Amino acid sequence: MTDNVHDRWSEDLAAYMLGALEPGEATELERHAEDCERCRSEMRWLTAAVEVLPEAVERHRPPPRLRESLMSEVRADARAAGVETGSAGGGVLHRAGSWLQGLGSGSHDWRRLAGLALMALVVVALVGYEIGGGGSESGGSTTTFVSGKAPGVTAEVVREDNGGELRLADVKKLPEDRVLEAWVRRDGEVEAVKALFVPDREGNASTTIGDMRGVDLVMVTTEPAGGSEVPTSSPIATVPIPQ
Amino acid sequence: MSVKRETAERLADEELMPLIAAKDPEAFEVFYDRHGGVAYSLAYRIVGERAAAEDVTQEAFISIWRSGARFDRTRGSVRSWMLSIVRNRAIDSLRSKAGKAPKLTFDDDAVLEQRPSEELTEEEAMRRETASEVRGALGQLPGEQSKVIELAYFGGFSQSEISRMLGVPLGTVKGRMRLGLEKIRGELAEGLA
Repeated sequence: MTDNVHDRWSEDLAAYMLGALEPGEATELERHAEDCERCRSEMRWLTAAVEVLPEAVERHRPPPRLRESLMSEVRADARAAGVETGSAGGGVLHRAGSWLQGLGSGSHDWRRLAGLALMALVVVALVGYEIGGGGSESGGSTTTFVSGKAPGVTAEVVREDNGGELRLADVKKLPEDRVLEAWVRRDGEVEAVKALFVPDREGNASTTIGDMRGVDLVMVTTEPAGGSEVPTSSPIATVPIPQ
Repeated sequence: MSVKRETAERLADEELMPLIAAKDPEAFEVFYDRHGGVAYSLAYRIVGERAAAEDVTQEAFISIWRSGARFDRTRGSVRSWMLSIVRNRAIDSLRSKAGKAPKLTFDDDAVLEQRPSEELTEEEAMRRETASEVRGALGQLPGEQSKVIELAYFGGFSQSEISRMLGVPLGTVKGRMRLGLEKIRGELAEGLA
């Protein structure tokens, strides 16, 4: 990309970002930017300036009838799509939260993580978050499931036939009297995975899950050295396993 | 299948979007409650009439409800994506009414201050700070730079139209837009430093 070509388009970047190019010009600029890292870099820089413009407008309260009208249309759409509406019935996320509360914590973190677990399930359903599927050996298969968008720790479960391996990354250093303990949910019941583990210096940690049959959720908590019979802290990672 | 409202309230926008795409009205209601105000304000700023602003906001949110799966998190925040939809619809509405002139002021400090303090979440407080910085940056811009930015972003005019409206060469309009945005960007960067 020559400087002259870049300079010619660079002049129009601000107008493009402000939506002030004619449609044909905008298309041409986009085509150029695909091959011009300098333009893309300048666009990234200017994006923040444009994105804050609507934040600076004078605030007006929308009339309540707008919300009523909007939600009326939305609920009608949802009913037509066969979606359970209203909060009285709860729904899958509520039930997941109740189950997690039953573990003995009852904290908001559990419910939030239940939400994240559901999010990951929804993502799996919508965009095919399941990874892998290859690696067959002697008729077996390997499938990798990844955690939802939980902040901090990332987790994945690599399932191979009836067993699996849980892998964590970005785990913070634990106090000396704490260990990681994995849990699985099977048929609505929580079971401890009989293996305690700790992260290495890079924050990576892994453990084996001997029996993955019927498991629809894998979680990790930090527990006192020696492990616990039931989780005593909020999970640091959850990995939904679509059935 | 829908989530409870209090559960949805704890989710980030990016986490709400898959639920909205799955047609969860509770998730959508939380999304509207978070962003309906700024969306309506932006629409009103552009179209200048309450009824038209309501129509624009309703159309934009229905569009999000029916196409929530199209949000691409690699291209920015949900809020920015939503506001770009509102802006585009508002500009379309404005263009359908010939001769409509945009409002050209940013004096919203007093209105913001009138809002009850209990409504201020930490996130909203940060947005106010950002809004304040932007208004400050815009206020410091030479008038000719802020005018071309406002005509383009809030008026929906192309740079060629602005050139003709203001009677200045096209290159001058381009330069003013660029300098103005760079100044705002610089102010934001300083604010973050």
